[in-house]
Amino acid sequence: MSGANQSSFASLHDVELCSYAAAGERRAFGELVRRHGSAVRGLLRRMGAQAAEADDTAQDAFLAAFERIAEFRGEGTFAGWVKKIAARQYLRRLQRDRKLTAFAQEDVEEEADVSAGDADHRIDLDEALKVLSAAERVCVSMCYGAGLSHGEAAEALNLPLGTVKSHVKRGLEKLRARLAPGDGAKTGGAVLEGRRGNG
Amino acid sequence: MAELDFERRLERLFGETPHMGDSVAFAERVERRLDRGWTARRWLIGAAGGAGGIIGASQLLMSNIFERVQSAEQSARVLGQGLSRVTPTTDMVSALSGGYGVWIAVGLAVITMGFAVSRVIEEI
Repeated sequence: MSGANQSSFASLHDVELCSYAAAGERRAFGELVRRHGSAVRGLLRRMGAQAAEADDTAQDAFLAAFERIAEFRGEGTFAGWVKKIAARQYLRRLQRDRKLTAFAQEDVEEEADVSAGDADHRIDLDEALKVLSAAERVCVSMCYGAGLSHGEAAEALNLPLGTVKSHVKRGLEKLRARLAPGDGAKTGGAVLEGRRGNG
Repeated sequence: MAELDFERRLERLFGETPHMGDSVAFAERVERRLDRGWTARRWLIGAAGGAGGIIGASQLLMSNIFERVQSAEQSARVLGQGLSRVTPTTDMVSALSGGYGVWIAVGLAVITMGFAVSRVIEEI
């Protein structure tokens, strides 16, 4: 295991790099960070973190992932696994800063005009997420960005499952209105609880 | 069906994160923090080992180990003499029943302890 160097790590698959990292090879883990750092930082920014805060949290998440690398069995992707760790780390940070208390309120005021979507004009996800409230943004990002079920998100947020489902539902409706305004008419926006609703 | 399509599209959009220009610098920062953590851990283990060694050595000196070894040697000699009366004498038995036996046992104990400590450090 000690024979591999940085250039040979670049040609290895994530699972192989994880094996090296589990054997204590920190350069192999560095290659994983190079590959997936942007995705993890991007997710945290989408959850609402400022750039510096997202970078700090992502660093903490990668360090935590290295400590627990033996737990990664390769059942999902490495990026997905680290994203879940990062999302939970960000929530802990929010909890520490007492920013999660407002998330418990189910009736969140509209922060922007959700009917501003324009089918001819492509609005990217980052812009669309700005329409969501902080709670909706975190809940939607956790479920669709980090791959957590509603139940896992509720547990991580320490909120009732129903509250999380409400945030996700409202968030999806707003996103749909921005990203796919034509489709919203077909469903009336009433059934967008999400297929993760059984979680 | 439409909402399922939308959710899949949303997951796809979340998966499409633009590559950040400072990804190499970010990875280097993480590697530096990892290295710092390992260096700190090594120092911690070394310091703990050193402190343990000092405490162990001082305890040995305070418990008059050399006098105890001498008395153990005497006991071993007496035991050896007793054994020689009831069993045929061999070089091995006479060697072990003298002072050498105690020191061989101490040496084996130190080797065993060293092996155990190295295993524990490896596990950590």
